[in-house]
Amino acid sequence: MTFPRRPERARRLTRRQRLAATALVAVALLFLTIDVTGSGLRGAHGGVRGALGALYRGTDGLISPVRRFVQGVPDAGANRDTIDRLRSENAQLRARLAQYAADASASEALSRLPTTSVPARVMALGPGLGFDWTVTLDVGSHNGVQNGQTVTDGVGLVGRVLHTNAISCTVLLAADPGSGVGARDTRTGELALATGQGTSGFRVSPLDPAAQLSVGDQLVTGPAGESTYVAGLALGTVTSVHTSADGMTVAQVRPAASPTTLDLVGVIMTEPGAEASR
Amino acid sequence: MTPARLGAAATAILVALLLQATLVAPAMLSAQLSLPAVLVAAVALELGPGAGMSLGFATGLVADLGSAHAAGLLALCWLGLGIGCGLLAEPHRHAAAQALLAAVAATVAGALATLGLTVVDEPGGTALGAVQSLLPSLAGNLVIAALVVPLTRRLLRADVLRGSGDG
Repeated sequence: MTFPRRPERARRLTRRQRLAATALVAVALLFLTIDVTGSGLRGAHGGVRGALGALYRGTDGLISPVRRFVQGVPDAGANRDTIDRLRSENAQLRARLAQYAADASASEALSRLPTTSVPARVMALGPGLGFDWTVTLDVGSHNGVQNGQTVTDGVGLVGRVLHTNAISCTVLLAADPGSGVGARDTRTGELALATGQGTSGFRVSPLDPAAQLSVGDQLVTGPAGESTYVAGLALGTVTSVHTSADGMTVAQVRPAASPTTLDLVGVIMTEPGAEASR
Repeated sequence: MTPARLGAAATAILVALLLQATLVAPAMLSAQLSLPAVLVAAVALELGPGAGMSLGFATGLVADLGSAHAAGLLALCWLGLGIGCGLLAEPHRHAAAQALLAAVAATVAGALATLGLTVVDEPGGTALGAVQSLLPSLAGNLVIAALVVPLTRRLLRADVLRGSGDG
């Protein structure tokens, strides 16, 4: 088979292609500058997200069975063990819950938690790269969702609503590298800052350098009224603690809500704690 | 560009972005797989730098605007991906070699995009994450390229889409 008008070898750009490439680079840099320095492209972002959100909704019905199958492949064979382990953990957690019920201060904190949430399903992740730490949910402003609201999977913190369209919304995952979450150690009550580490969980630094973090400590979001997120949601469990030469304590935390297995989630219906940045 | 090729390019961009968001990315969050990047590389390796840069820029810009990060970043990276792969275009290369090249190029472009996120101080990427994900990303992109490259070659060599390459 021959392709008469196709180049045998295209080792160099033609003059016209160089001009086109230069123009496109300039346009890309212009977009980048406008978007980084201001909100001039907010409308364009919203329009494309809205259009893609509608398409995700249509595509999701066809794709989701395949996606769940593919997501389940790495866990094939391990589900039995997982169920047994979860049953055991569930029994322990029930016992712990009974203890907490008697604790007046915990009870007071729990009473501040909002009880209404809108159930939603994850339709898609970011359309560009695998490391786009956002997910698109199938609920939007028609369901009462607003920017800044906290999202949970029923167990722990998932993230917060970044953008809302009529029928879908984009959620920035708490696991996003670089994102910060105010946290509280349930054992000591110490406050800390948890930084997202992608699939590795969180890296936590206590605000008080002398604070004692221990392996196994449970962290929750908080404190109420000062955090972007609803207070009291499980953030994760401390898996290791390191103290640097300058005395700073840093802990690694396994997330309560795994960002890799998100499917059904709930958007907590409160007034948003903070406005989204873009 | 013929209307048939324009329509095919627009459809390819849309399908690639939808599949990336609803299937590829959720399936393996620990690696940086990108179906659109592999598609851009595959088309550029087949048609040359002109088609590669156009497709790369257009796909990247739509992905940017649909994402949380600043617009222009993926457009810039995938524009470079299209040009780079286009300069390596070789009509008689074996499909397997073409798939390998497309996967390597898409992985490098993904790592550069992640580094770019850190440079412009945007959420989503760290330099360490970019380095750590190189090997798993390459493996995943190879699987995608093994499917996408032969399909792209066959489609681009079909009579209805065959037109002038860019020389």
